[in-house]
Formats: sequence, C-alpha cells, structure tokens
Amino acid sequence: MSDAAELRGLRPLQSGQGHEFASWRTGALRIAVGLGLILVVAQATYVVQARPQDLITGAHGMADILWRASPPDFGQFQHELWPAIETLDIAIFGTLWGVILALPLAIFAARNTSPSRSLYYLARGLIALCRAVPDLVWALLFVTAVGLGPFPGALAISVHSVGMLGRLFSEVIEDMDKGPVEALITTGATRLQVFSHAIVPIVLPSLLGITLYRLDENIRGSLVLGFVGAGGIGFELLTAMNLFQYQTVSLLLVITFVLVTITERLSAALRAKLA
Amino acid sequence: MSGALIRADDLTMRYPNGTLALEGASFEVAAGELLVILGHNGCGKSTLLRCIAGLQVPTQGQVSVSGQVLTGLTGRALSTARMKLGMVFQQARLVGRRSVIANVLCGTLGRRQTLTTMLGMFPRDDAPVALESLDAVGLSAFANQRASTLSGGQAQRVSIARALAQKPAALLADEPVASLDPDAANEVMQLLRRISSRDGLAVICVLHQPELARRYGDRVIGMKKGRVLFDAAPEAIAARDMDALYTGTAGGSYHE
Repeated sequence: MSDAAELRGLRPLQSGQGHEFASWRTGALRIAVGLGLILVVAQATYVVQARPQDLITGAHGMADILWRASPPDFGQFQHELWPAIETLDIAIFGTLWGVILALPLAIFAARNTSPSRSLYYLARGLIALCRAVPDLVWALLFVTAVGLGPFPGALAISVHSVGMLGRLFSEVIEDMDKGPVEALITTGATRLQVFSHAIVPIVLPSLLGITLYRLDENIRGSLVLGFVGAGGIGFELLTAMNLFQYQTVSLLLVITFVLVTITERLSAALRAKLA
Repeated sequence: MSGALIRADDLTMRYPNGTLALEGASFEVAAGELLVILGHNGCGKSTLLRCIAGLQVPTQGQVSVSGQVLTGLTGRALSTARMKLGMVFQQARLVGRRSVIANVLCGTLGRRQTLTTMLGMFPRDDAPVALESLDAVGLSAFANQRASTLSGGQAQRVSIARALAQKPAALLADEPVASLDPDAANEVMQLLRRISSRDGLAVICVLHQPELARRYGDRVIGMKKGRVLFDAAPEAIAARDMDALYTGTAGGSYHE
C-alpha cells in the first residue's frame, strides 16, 4: 500500500512535462529554507546579545586567569582524590538505581509488554516527568530534602536516569524481534516465561549497552551537581573558584578531564564488545 | 485413526477494516495425516492457520482439538489448550544468542512451573526430551551451538524440534519452507511427513508450491478469496483445479 503511494508521489518527477515544474518548485523551496535558516541565526544572535568585540577586550582578563591558574597545584592531588571518588560513586550508585527502577517501568511503558493501558500511560508519564526535569533541578530538590553531600547528588542522578533509561529501554523492548515471543506464546508459555526466555535474552545486550552509555553520561552529570551542594568534584570546584584558588581549579579541571576521558573510552570499549 | 483430531467448523474472519479474510471454512484433520493448504497470497491460508492455533479469534465458527473446543478460551485455559498444537512459522523464530538446546527446551515451558524456569532451571527429565526432539530432526550434534550460527534449513528444523518438545498432538506449519532453498525445503517437508506418518501427529502445512503439496500431502485444501475451493487427495486434484487457485487473482487480490 505505502509502496504504491510512494510510487504515485514520484510520478510527476519521472514524466517529461512534470519535470520542469518539479525542479522549479524544489528550487524555490531551497531558497525559502535557506532564508529561513538565516533568519533563525540572525534572531538568535540578537537575542543572546552577541558582542565579539568584548571577547577581544576581555582577552587579557582571561590570560590573567590562565596565568594565575598555572601550573595546576598538584600538591592538592591527595586532598582532591576523595571528591573524585565521590563523583564516580555518585554516578555508579545513581546509574544502578536508575536501572533497577527503569526496567520495570520500561516493561509497563512498552506497548507490547504492558499489562494494561492505564499502567502504560502511568509508566510513560512517570518516565517523562523524570526526564523532563533536569538533574541539576532534581539535585536542588534533594539537597533541600536530605541536606548537603553526595547522597542528594546520587538521588538526583537516579531519578534523572530513570527518565532517560526508561524511555530507551521501552523503545528497545518495542522494537525487538517479535518472532520468538509469538513462538513461545504458542507453546503455552506464561507471560512471565515468555519474558524470561524470549524478551530478556533478545534485549539484554542493547540494555547493557544503553546502561554503560548512561553511566558515562552520569559521570559527567555528577561533576556538575556539586555546584548546587551535592558533593563530589563540582563542590570542590565551586569552593576553589569562590576562594580565587585558581591553581586548585586547574588541578580539578585536569582530574575531570582524565576522569571523563577514561570512562568514555572504557564505556565505548565495553559497548563495542557487547555488539 | 480415531476420527478427526482437529475440526474446523464454519470459520469466518472479518477484520475491523471490513476485509473478509475467511468465509465459512470447514474441514477435519485426522491423527497421522498431513494436510496441505494451498492458495494465492492473501487467500486466507495464514489467517486460517492462526485461527486454528488460537492466535486469532474468528468472528464466526469454532475450532476443536481432540473434542475440546478451543475457540473462546482465554488465559490459562487457552495456554493449556494451545500446548496440544505445535506451531512452526516461515521464519524459525529462534533466540539467536541462546544455544540450540536452550531454544528447544523452551518448547517444554508450557507444562512447567513459571518461577523455576524463569531462573533457567529446567527439570532434569526435560533435557532428554529436548535432546530427543533435536535428534528427531537430525541435529543433536548442534545442541550447544548458538542458534544464530545455523543455516536457514537447520534453524527451521530446530524450530520443529522446539514444537516437538512441547509434545503436541498436532503440528501447524505456516509456510515453513517459503524462505528455504529447494534442498532445505525438501528436507523440512520430509521431516514433517515423517512426523505425521511415523509419530502419528496431525500436520497442517500451508504451502506455496503445488508440487510439494502433491509430493508430501495426504490431502490438499485449495483456498481462494477466503473460501475452500477443493479438499481432496493430491492424486484426485485435476491440474485445472490447481491452476484455478492462482488465476484471476494477480494484482487485484490485495484491494478487496
């Protein structure tokens, strides 16, 4: 059906007299799209009040900060090791609980495995809510609830991960090969058996890959959370900035860079292995 | 042979969009009989098979298996009734990442405890059952291989082994050889033939190839536009009737 419709749509382009008309129209369309893009960029430049000249006059200020920030104060390394571990563990804890909560939600939120329509919409709504609120805002909320420290950060990462993982997990479950599922239903297997013997083995590699990617994202996410008082490197960064300890700031940036690069590489390598 | 094992009565299927896929189809299949259903694409063969398997509920008519009415059952009763019917599809529908034997063991799920099998624990006496079914399709040497490493024909035979592990009274095969090369197709058909005559299962097999139907079928049903056109032994079917199945349907049949 859709093939036929597609063919019909192509016909004016293929026939002789329609060709000129079609190309004139595509030309006009391209010009319109081009003009539209220029308009969008122009208004964005205006709204952000872009002033390139300030960037040039401000150059010596930046040079001054860079000068005061170098060399990084490696004497502080031992002192900053603990916050680095904290950042890492916020991400690990958050991702783990994100997975534990997202998996059942995703099963409810996938059309082919959801037990009922109302549960489907409920799960979709919960996942959307977790995702729509940024992790920084979740962290602010949890800091007011449980106080300063790494725990509110870990909670924020968990909740935000539920949103991100829940959506991707449910998409994987919806897009999976339904063949084995139907084959098992015909053997008289129960819903749970179909789940454990067809759905799980089929989707597991994708789910692990998504989780590893999320862990990598969460490590970057937890770096920032310290800015609102949720522990880890971010908190140290904020403190050092406020105390004008720029050499400590640059050390923290070096640690951040190493941390992010290593986890990115590691997660990419593991995911490549899974595929 | 104790009469009909599967009985289809006046099966009619009208889809919500108004398409009449099946119209008053009635027939019987006895134990040990291989029935072939032939027909053009969209003639209702697959709908018929899916109605018998309980995967679709007919808008009218009913299916009974060894005397028990299957149509209208739901939930646990339906699952239990389905276990008497092994199903084989055009694609093998195996879980590629799991071993061949694990895929075959899935056939036993219906009669086992949900919780223990969910943890991957199968009763000890199920392993021989699975191996036996695998042996019946001539692939016991492949038991520990990943299912994804099999050829198309082998995978299809493993899916038959999975259906056999279910210990069904009948086997329903929906175009089981449609995506196989001629040699593999013949192997699968010979296997189905053996399962019906030697093991006494009723086999219903939807096919596209009249020559395979003539060679392997005990009886052939020809379907056109949702209706049963003929139902006879292969040698009793005139070439003219066979041709009638495939004429006058090209192109237009999708838009009914």
